[in-house]
Amino acid sequence: MPDNWTFVAAAYALAALVFGGYWLRLGRIDRELAAVRTEREAVRTDRASRSQQPSKTGHPRPEPASRPPLQP
Amino acid sequence: MTTLLGWLAGLGLVAGLVMGFGVAPREVTQGNVQRIMYLHVPAVWVAYLTFTVGFAASIAYLAGRRPGADRLAHAACEVGTVFLGVNIATGAIWGKPTWGTWWTWDARLTSVAVVFVMFLAYLLLRGAIEDRERGARYGAVLSIVAALNIPLVHFSVYWWRTLHQPPSLLKPGSSTMPRVILTALLVNFAAQALLGAYFVARRARLLAAEEEALA
Amino acid sequence: MTYARRALTVAWKDLVVERRSKETLNALLFFSLALLFVFQFALGPDRERLAAVLPGLLWLGFILSGVLGLGRAFLVERENDCWEALLLTPGDKSAIYLGKLAGSLVLMAVVETLVLALFVLFFNVDLGPALPGLALVIGLGTVGIAAVGTLFAAMTAQVRARELLFPVLLLPVLVPVLLGTVKATEALLLGEPLASVAHWLKLLVAADVVYLAIGLLTFDFILEG
Repeated sequence: MPDNWTFVAAAYALAALVFGGYWLRLGRIDRELAAVRTEREAVRTDRASRSQQPSKTGHPRPEPASRPPLQP
Repeated sequence: MTTLLGWLAGLGLVAGLVMGFGVAPREVTQGNVQRIMYLHVPAVWVAYLTFTVGFAASIAYLAGRRPGADRLAHAACEVGTVFLGVNIATGAIWGKPTWGTWWTWDARLTSVAVVFVMFLAYLLLRGAIEDRERGARYGAVLSIVAALNIPLVHFSVYWWRTLHQPPSLLKPGSSTMPRVILTALLVNFAAQALLGAYFVARRARLLAAEEEALA
Repeated sequence: MTYARRALTVAWKDLVVERRSKETLNALLFFSLALLFVFQFALGPDRERLAAVLPGLLWLGFILSGVLGLGRAFLVERENDCWEALLLTPGDKSAIYLGKLAGSLVLMAVVETLVLALFVLFFNVDLGPALPGLALVIGLGTVGIAAVGTLFAAMTAQVRARELLFPVLLLPVLVPVLLGTVKATEALLLGEPLASVAHWLKLLVAADVVYLAIGLLTFDFILEG
């Protein structure tokens, strides 16, 4: 029987493609989730830092807990 | 832990390739095309192993409702489907030079194809349910049905093909396998099992992160 | 209310609704008739070719009608906003599963009897001595189809794309039932004794037991929400 090395190569190449593709997909999901996470962190820290500065309009803040207590 | 698994899997795959191409001899009847077997056969073993894990995890989820069990079940069923896909595809590539056709409704290919479609349907169902808790419950029930159906599929397809019909196809892998071929097979199985475990672990972790991100 | 009472109530409700509207029954009968014509046209007038594939066609007809009919198993509850009522049912919800199953079995039995009669007419089949064995095979097969179908119908009832998802879920799972029933029917129609298909019958019984057990044990989890 002839050796059919092309078929052997095709089979291993296909397996490499499928496994590699799945591995890359996992990597992509990982990156997307990391991006979502850093976005969330950025929004959170941004909101936290903004509450320390005085309000531009002088209006009361939406988060009263972060306000300094009213002076009598 | 997951990265360690990944590195071990990588090493294992290299070892498997060395065994499959360097150590194992050229097979007597089929020639070198038989080397596809080192890819094809372990893939289905790993797939069925992961489906069993998925089955156990599904039962554990229904019993204890721990989200970790559901994530394990989901990841296991997904990875199992990937390995089954590799098995079917490499089986077809093997079949062309040995049997002269890409596809034949022989017992093994057919039953694996049916199981593949069953678990594809599982993935479809999980994808169609947005609610995490309901997806977990329904997924668990479906994976239990699918896993318990596997032996029924195998028997029915085997009887469908072999009764009143002499086995006319070349059976892949003779009944008395030379020791070195068996060893190469087992090494490749260990390598693929490590790869499967790595994929499952990583996928389960990503599922946890997905849940957190959507929370 | 006892368990059996609850199951019977569900079955009775479904059958009464069906008897009044005859919606599903009529649709399934016309569907089966249409299938018959389609089979004939797709396969051509060659008598022998048709005779060879007859068992397969018969079960294709049964399974496709089953997919259509079972897919609607929870339609009544869904469309009339009664799904929550199902969820709130006290006690073991597997009684609902049995009730739905029983109702579906009656419906499928009616459809199958008529389809079988049409087959005998159109394709000139001589059932005669094979009938008792055939009835057994059809019974076992139908129980299997309905057992999984009822479970999956509940599962897909609240899922988007349910009309697509239900057959995609059901058909691969039913492969063993399809193989068993077709091979057994084939043998019986060729005049072979029932004993010659004992292994297929055992497979069908095993499948029915497995599917019923899973249905009874897991239906509660499906109807949680």
